Amino acid sequence: MTMIDEELLTTALHAEADQFEVSADARSRLLDQIAGTEVRGTRPTTFVGSRRGRSLVGAAAALIVALAIAVPLRNQESPAPHAALRNPEKIVRGEKYAPSTGALAITGSGFALTATGAAADHSTAEQATAGTAQKIESNGTVALVVVHGQVADAITTLTKLATGDGGLVDSTSAHGGTGSAERFSSGTVVLQVPQSSFARLVAQVQRVGHATSVTTNSNNVTAQYVDLQARIHALEVSRAEYLVIMTRATTISAILAVQNQVNQLQSQIEQYQGELKVLNNETTYAALTVNLSAKGHHSSTHHRRTGFAKAWHDSVAGFIDGFEWLLRLAGPLLFAAILLGALYALARLARRSFVRRRL
Amino acid sequence: MNDLATWLEEGYPQSVRTAYLILGNRLDAEDAVQEAFLRAWKFRDSLSKETSIKPWLYRVVVNTCNSKLRQEIPHRDRRESDDDLSDTPAADDMPSRLAICDGVLRALSDLPPHLRVVVVLRYYADLSEREIAVAIGRKPGTVKSRLNEARRRLSQHPDLQPDISHRGELKEISG
Repeated sequence: MTMIDEELLTTALHAEADQFEVSADARSRLLDQIAGTEVRGTRPTTFVGSRRGRSLVGAAAALIVALAIAVPLRNQESPAPHAALRNPEKIVRGEKYAPSTGALAITGSGFALTATGAAADHSTAEQATAGTAQKIESNGTVALVVVHGQVADAITTLTKLATGDGGLVDSTSAHGGTGSAERFSSGTVVLQVPQSSFARLVAQVQRVGHATSVTTNSNNVTAQYVDLQARIHALEVSRAEYLVIMTRATTISAILAVQNQVNQLQSQIEQYQGELKVLNNETTYAALTVNLSAKGHHSSTHHRRTGFAKAWHDSVAGFIDGFEWLLRLAGPLLFAAILLGALYALARLARRSFVRRRL
Repeated sequence: MNDLATWLEEGYPQSVRTAYLILGNRLDAEDAVQEAFLRAWKFRDSLSKETSIKPWLYRVVVNTCNSKLRQEIPHRDRRESDDDLSDTPAADDMPSRLAICDGVLRALSDLPPHLRVVVVLRYYADLSEREIAVAIGRKPGTVKSRLNEARRRLSQHPDLQPDISHRGELKEISG
């Protein structure tokens, strides 16, 4: 391949360029301008290049790292049950409300009666619901792990918690003991506290030991409550009407027929009143079942470790705990590292682009 | 920073001539270098201690020239001047020299800007391939291939085809 001679090229370029007399004025003007820039002190720096900018960027990076680590850890340590506690109004709808709208029909000898408006109307029930305080029944289950040999103490503490909140202990049971209260390896306590104290009780119970699971359930039974009230009211109205009719009855058969209806109505009213009472109790008190187990206890097998076995078990458990902790921490750290890396790359690209454009 | 100030003062003539060879016009060259030197001074913070001043400053000059070639010069008529490359009037007493220079300069002005820049930086500004790489923001390998391509094109240019018989005269004159 033929190439032009480099010496020739050099000579030609110098010969041409050297003919160009550079203006001394232009040079001095330029130097004056530069000197003026220096005097005015308008020394531009990029935002990132300034000390304040660096501080801000550093602070932002530190904040990102802190958030990236703290938020996932917080979420891991406060699982779903806590979310449920923060939202105690979580409602699970009860059975479908289907009020009867039928009319009572009494057929007797010589007359027929239809009691209208006696049945609870659905719209009436809805209106009543709006005007009635919410009736919520709540229950929950907490699984607690306590230090070995302290199941009995935990039961005592739970009892105090319930009674302190104006509640009561519905039932207690302890298992796996060898005769001594200190040897209980598991137990169950059912606590009842007023509805308003339920959320607080669940939170307090979790502090008694290490909560491995928390389940809470709330059920809004307001509609059911109002429906029962409406039915009772309607039946009472019907019963009053029948009683009026009974006073006008002239034949034995008619009196007996009306009496029969009144008895039926009375029976229904009592049944609904019973249901209403139960519902009232359930919505007044919330039930919390606490399942206790001693640390290292497995419900299926009962191994009592001592000496080297216990030490080995504790060591393995500690190792696993540490490894779990590391794994939990690794995720957020990796995320933070990726995020910072991406930000750094972007910042470098932006800075390069900025400087190139300016140059 | 004192080095930069010194270089700006001392390197101005050579920078203007380099820009002149790239742009082919004296006024554009002076404009470009004025602008480039002001930019260089303004952004002198981006000059790290490890970077040599000369290629860095040429980078600013080359970027400004490229910017002019891209944005300004194509959108206006060529400046009316008699000092454009290859338009230098012939002198009766040195026909051979001018013929060779004209041929080289015409061939240079016909090169695309990215090739012209490396030729000027190498054979006029006397930068090494590594320094040119810094000046144009490319890798040394790219510089080498561009130089080869430029020299190949120049050698094939019609104005440089007949013979290089004037080479001796030119050396004598310039030496």
